[in-house]
Amino acid sequence: MEEILEKQEGDRNNIRALEQLKYDLNSTNSDEEQMEDDEHSKDALLSIEENVLKEESAVCNNSDFSIGVVDIKAEDILDLESDIILPQASQSQSSTNIQKQKRESKSRKELEEEEREKMQVLVSNFTEDQLDRYAMYRRSAFPKAAIKRLMQTIAGCSVSQNVVIAMAGIAKVFVGEVVEEGLDVMEELGDTGPLQPKHLREAVRRMRQYGGIPNGRDYRTHYRL
Amino acid sequence: MAAAEETFEQFEEDDAAETALALSSAGRKRLFSKELRCMMYGFGDDQNPYTESVDIIEDLVIEFITEMTYKAMEIGRTGRVQIDDIVFLVRKDPRKYARVKDLLTMNEELRRARKAFDEIKFAGNVK
Repeated sequence: MEEILEKQEGDRNNIRALEQLKYDLNSTNSDEEQMEDDEHSKDALLSIEENVLKEESAVCNNSDFSIGVVDIKAEDILDLESDIILPQASQSQSSTNIQKQKRESKSRKELEEEEREKMQVLVSNFTEDQLDRYAMYRRSAFPKAAIKRLMQTIAGCSVSQNVVIAMAGIAKVFVGEVVEEGLDVMEELGDTGPLQPKHLREAVRRMRQYGGIPNGRDYRTHYRL
Repeated sequence: MAAAEETFEQFEEDDAAETALALSSAGRKRLFSKELRCMMYGFGDDQNPYTESVDIIEDLVIEFITEMTYKAMEIGRTGRVQIDDIVFLVRKDPRKYARVKDLLTMNEELRRARKAFDEIKFAGNVK
């Protein structure tokens, strides 16, 4: 029983580390960068980044996690136990769970620190090209004015600053997903060079299938529980 | 950012027409060409992406933002787009959800830091 729990924890630690890497990789916009030290920015090699993202999406799919990975849900641990353990025992288990969570949150900060250091080492070893691409990745952003204007035109009412910030960030992640999918398609076809429209169209087709592109006529959400 | 907002308000009429044109299907005005090129390069494309590819991605982004806005208007307070609606809409997508949470947290921290800084400055002037 303990071994199963520990293995779950081990998996979660890995997943959390990957999640952290992913947060760091996707973190900071040009606005926030002013307050942050660029030198200490948590960077990663592009291929490693892709691999990590692929890895973690595979891991996420395998372990069938919801997005609340960081808020490691006690329910996950308790669900495992409720099938096997009697109610009284589960109470004592929940107290040990709380202790475990405290330990996990402490080690999460340590993990964060480790990740930052690793990133620093990585960035310091970048070649000129990699640095250039990485800088573009971090700095590129959608202009908030245009996004705000677009949303207000669509919504017909004013939208707050927060919403514009969130939407700009999400749109950037979305572009990343499409481009990555397009690069996968290009690799499968054995092409090189700039992305061609045919790669992107195939990527979009695939994304629509697994619901990566929101569709007003998509009733998948009704089927999901 | 503030300066951009001011200049935007001056040319509001022109820009609103621009945006309306961008939303229509024929003869679109390109809103994000420059930024998208940099973004695609950052995400792994060639240093000079094809213009057609950039166009496709721009159309996708506008479609994405449009769909999200419509959905957000339907949930929570109808007719309004609020931040909680956005967070709710991306809850199933780990990457986007994490990104939104990070952005909002950082925004809060920046706001607090700026406020504290202003208070310190004010206290310094009073002395």
